[in-house]
Amino acid sequence: MKNRRLFALALAIVAVVLNGCGKSAPVLHIYIWDAYLPPAVVDQFTKRTGISVTIDHYGSNEELMAKLASGVTSYDLCVPSDYVVQPLIQQKLLHGLDHARLPHVSNLTPRFVNQAFDPGNQYTMPYLWGTTGLAYNKKLVNPAPDSWNVLFDPAYKGKILMLDDKRECFVVALKLMGKSVNETDPATLRAAADMLKKQHDLVRTYDSTNYDNTLLSKDVVVAHGWNGQMAKVVSDHPDDYAYILPKEGGDIWLDNIAIPAGAQNVDAAYQFIDYVLEGETAAQIVNGVNYASPNEAAKAHIDPKILNDPNIYPPDSALKNWEYLNALGGATDRMISDLWTEIKAK
Amino acid sequence: MKSARSTLLALHALVVYAILYGPILVLMVFSFNKSRQAAVWTGFSFDWYVQLAQDAELVHDAWHSLIVALVATAASTAIGTMAALGLAGNGRELSARAARSTTTALVYLPIVIPEIVMAAALLTFFSITRWHLSLVTVMAAHISFTVSYVAIIVRARLIGFDASLEEAAMDLGANRVQMFFRVKLPIITPAIIAGALLVFTVSIDDYVVTSFVAGTDSTTLPVKIASMVKTGVTPEINAVSTVLLVCTIILVVVSQKLMTGRNAE
Repeated sequence: MKNRRLFALALAIVAVVLNGCGKSAPVLHIYIWDAYLPPAVVDQFTKRTGISVTIDHYGSNEELMAKLASGVTSYDLCVPSDYVVQPLIQQKLLHGLDHARLPHVSNLTPRFVNQAFDPGNQYTMPYLWGTTGLAYNKKLVNPAPDSWNVLFDPAYKGKILMLDDKRECFVVALKLMGKSVNETDPATLRAAADMLKKQHDLVRTYDSTNYDNTLLSKDVVVAHGWNGQMAKVVSDHPDDYAYILPKEGGDIWLDNIAIPAGAQNVDAAYQFIDYVLEGETAAQIVNGVNYASPNEAAKAHIDPKILNDPNIYPPDSALKNWEYLNALGGATDRMISDLWTEIKAK
Repeated sequence: MKSARSTLLALHALVVYAILYGPILVLMVFSFNKSRQAAVWTGFSFDWYVQLAQDAELVHDAWHSLIVALVATAASTAIGTMAALGLAGNGRELSARAARSTTTALVYLPIVIPEIVMAAALLTFFSITRWHLSLVTVMAAHISFTVSYVAIIVRARLIGFDASLEEAAMDLGANRVQMFFRVKLPIITPAIIAGALLVFTVSIDDYVVTSFVAGTDSTTLPVKIASMVKTGVTPEINAVSTVLLVCTIILVVVSQKLMTGRNAE
């Protein structure tokens, strides 16, 4: 009797496993950042098309690249960031996009299409975007900063946090020197590294995941960081914290939706991309995840509180000197890595 | 003198336990934090547990973890026990001894190899064999690196096994099958259970290997938590960690109760 029950359990497990392999009903497999796609948006897609959706998460662009490069994934959609799009295209890991199958593509805001990393959007469609700026404690930082200079101010020695991200830190130094975020000149990069090396003594910690909490716990008073988490800090404590886009400029990040080369269900993937490009859907995503959408038609449906939040939707005037990060190529990447090691080792 | 020593010992124990459990306690306390940010205490609430229960994706991923851990435990325990029995075989010729020591070394390898190397190797293997990544590859990977734990633990128990018991059972008329189920198996059962528990706990919280070999619809809880951290550490992560912790503790307590109960019989 006991054995029979065990046997039944084993059969049930096998059934569950095999069920996962079944290919009868159309299924769309999405591989995306966590908290980037509200469940309601997915449910609505399934209701409309009858296509069921599975969602898996990755924590870094590198993880996504490694997975796609293995050549044995069956994901139908993924959302790579700007600087990994080019390497993905070069390694032939993305499926080309036929714009005729994406009628809502015209909804996109012109400034977000046709980027250097994917000219003509032949492989990707912009999904969500944001900025890398700095947030500070209003009570402890006087006067209110408007420049990256505050991160180099000896008055805040030991109270400064920088992202643990080599490209982002170089952006700060390069922008203070009046250079492009995609600078490749070795002498300029070395000068930027010297600035960051000098700054090292002032920095409390380099951290890319918990910077919002470190700022809130007052361990630091000014922190370099991405707008998503900082916007949450500011909206929770508007009297104590502020997020700014320094006047020298910086980098805009842009995440893009794409079909991996090994996709099993390309038709469903096209349907989903076009669904996301619809204004109502894009707005629903923005309202759910608190990031800005590159979709112009979405604006009519976005919660005004989000649309009018300058930390999420900065005015165009604030973004004059803001650029996208491009892939820099092997030699420059190696040089930046080496310089970064020197900076951190100091 | 003696009391000074015991005070020192108590102090030492206190420091050790504080270091071991302090961080975990902080994590648990902050899972009841009202604020969205994990680091600043603003008041008591169960909000994050409510959100946790309503987070369909998280619950779905927790099921993945549980299924993988159960399958890996069942398969690894069976394979590992058989391996241990084979390794404890009593061939005395040189070739048998050489085969035994080589195989034993091979069994240890998956435990001493850095996990990241194991992960890359498994992904390469699946890539070469064109085995598409899914929950099944996660199970296969978990089985491949957990078999060793069972094999080693069960083998250690078998080393202390008194062969005369075997001979006595056969002498008294038992055939090999009866001898195995009535004498040998009951003696090694605690080791098998210990091995199975270890496999379960290793499998359910594995991140490195899983993040390499997970494919469609196979995100497990640790992989999900790692991706959640990327968009900010909220008390929801503390809450899910607390739930995982409490479940593990219950499991360990129950299994210890089971084992002491068995011994009392």
